[in-house]
This record gives sequence, C-alpha cells and structure tokens, in this order.
Amino acid sequence: MGQKSQAVDLWVVIPAFNEGPVIGKVVMAVRALCHNVVIVDDCSGDDTGAQALEAGATVLRHPINLGQGAALQTGIRYALSRGAGYIVTFDADGQHRPEDIGVLLDTQVKTGADVVLGSRFLGHAENIPRLRRMILQLAVVYMHITSGVKLTDAHNGLRLLTRRAAERIRITQARMAHASEIIDQIDALGLTVVEAPVTIVYTEYSLRKGQKLGNAFNILIELFVARLNK
Amino acid sequence: MIIQVLLIGGLLLCLLYAFMQNQKSRLLSKAISIIALTGIYLVLFPEHTNGLARFVGVGRGADLVLYCWLVISLIVSMHLQLQILQLQGLITELAREMALQGARRSLDEGGTGTHLGT
Repeated sequence: MGQKSQAVDLWVVIPAFNEGPVIGKVVMAVRALCHNVVIVDDCSGDDTGAQALEAGATVLRHPINLGQGAALQTGIRYALSRGAGYIVTFDADGQHRPEDIGVLLDTQVKTGADVVLGSRFLGHAENIPRLRRMILQLAVVYMHITSGVKLTDAHNGLRLLTRRAAERIRITQARMAHASEIIDQIDALGLTVVEAPVTIVYTEYSLRKGQKLGNAFNILIELFVARLNK
Repeated sequence: MIIQVLLIGGLLLCLLYAFMQNQKSRLLSKAISIIALTGIYLVLFPEHTNGLARFVGVGRGADLVLYCWLVISLIVSMHLQLQILQLQGLITELAREMALQGARRSLDEGGTGTHLGT
C-alpha cells in the first residue's frame, strides 16, 4: 500500500466497546496509512467515540450495546454506502499492526480472492499465552471439521473483504460467534478465500481487556451454540 | 364446589381475552377459545376426563389434563422464544439504522463534528 492515494476506496472498520484509553492511538496509526476509518462505538460507557472522532475517524454509535458482530455489520454497511471497494476489519485494542493492512491488500491483488483473512499462525503472534494458542488451534480444527474451510487461524479480527464479498456476507451473530459465522458464509456463498500472515501483538492492555478471548473457553461454547442455533 | 367456580372464572377470562385478540390473530384467538371451552367443559364434568384418559392410555383424568397443559406450555414458550429472536433482529436493525443516520466526522475532515447525514 504505502501511499494513501492507492487505496482511496479502502475502508477500515473498527468495532469498539470501551476502548477509550487506546482507540485514539489505534485510529491515528491506521489513518497514517489509510484515510477512511470508521469506528463503530457499540454504546461504550467511556469516551471511545469522542477519542476516535478527535483522532479523525468517522464515528457511528449504536444507541444500545449490540455486540461485536453487529458492530462489524453496521460498519460494513456504512463503508459500502460510501462506495468502498475494499473493507478491512480491524480490532480496536491495538493488537493488530496497521502495516498488515497492506499485506492483506497485496495478497488480494495477487490472488484475486474475495476475502483475505489474517493469520497469526502464518505470521507472528507476539507474547501469545500458551493456553490461548491451544484454544485457537482447537477452534481451527473445529472450523475445519464443520465448515470445510481449511484455515490456520479461525478467530482473527483482521480481514479484508472485497466489495463483492462485503455485499453478500450478512453477520447475524451479534456477539462473538460472528467470526465463525463469517467463515461459514464464505463457504456457503462460494467466495474464494486466502490467508495472509499478520502479526498479533499481545500487549498487556489487550490481554487484560481480553476483547477477543476474554474467557478463551467461551468461544468454543459459542461456536457450539451457534451451530445448534442454525 | 369453590374450585369449579374459580377455574371457570379463569377460563372465562381466557375466553374474553381470545375474543379481544380476534382481530389481531384469528388462529390464536380460535386456539385459545377451543382450549378454554374444553377446559370449562372438563371442569363441569370432571368424570368425563377419566373416560378420555383411559381411552388414550393415561391412568387418571387429572394426569391427562396435566400432560396436555405441559405440551401447551412448551409450544407457547417456543413461540415466545421465536418472537424474542425476531424482536432482537428488529432492534438490531433499528439501532443500526440510528447509528448510520447519526454518523459523525471530525472537524478537520470537512465534517461538522456533530451530525452527518448519510
């Protein structure tokens, strides 16, 4: 990527819930590489929205807390309405590196895939706790068995969707199970998917916050329940 | 007997409710009416439940009524569950629409910092 002009129709969607302490920094870091950043403030109780606004993002605020999946869908819809050609989903807690957006984009351009998923296991996971690594690998095996999509990392919030993919994918799992729902839909809609190596930085903040895997065990339960609810 | 008066009173209220619901949902109204009328009949002639119970293979009439009640409760709670899910979906859509209508952009982006219609 490098220059902003190259990715004029690239939108970065960041769902955020009570990320006031870090969101400003995250938005600024992303905006250094990509102009269009939309924060979906999922009814935070802190100043997440104001911080993001100040850092230059477009801010959408849910009037009630709906969950990360719903926030992603809101942001994607907004980006599409603004004519986005590519949509990148990015975590608010600072565990993703903005440079990796370029890696996703390059991978898309090279492969022509509809969806590019970031994989920490192709790339690097810094300071990943052992239990978390184990749970994530279990999730991968589970997704492989149940959806037939072969991935190395099933629960990475860093992904790139082409407009074609973003228009078709509908996230209905409001809470955390959306990650596997997205993969299910990629499979069901016949979209092509590739993985790109990205780095996850497990900072003290992101671990404490545990945005994605607060209780690592929960995600396995949610995966299971989501399957039952189909 | 006092219990009969109480039960019939309650069932008559059900009938009244069914009557008032008639415009909203004919089917639901009819279902409630039939259940309430059957209930009133069985309260008035409890001995008839015993015959019916033996016919379908249940020991006592009271047990038969209990089992039927159980099934009806299950159907009602599943129906409610579905409605709750539907409502959740609608609320999500509504909240999303509000969020999209109220998009805000910062001042240095040529936005007003406040409202930004899409």
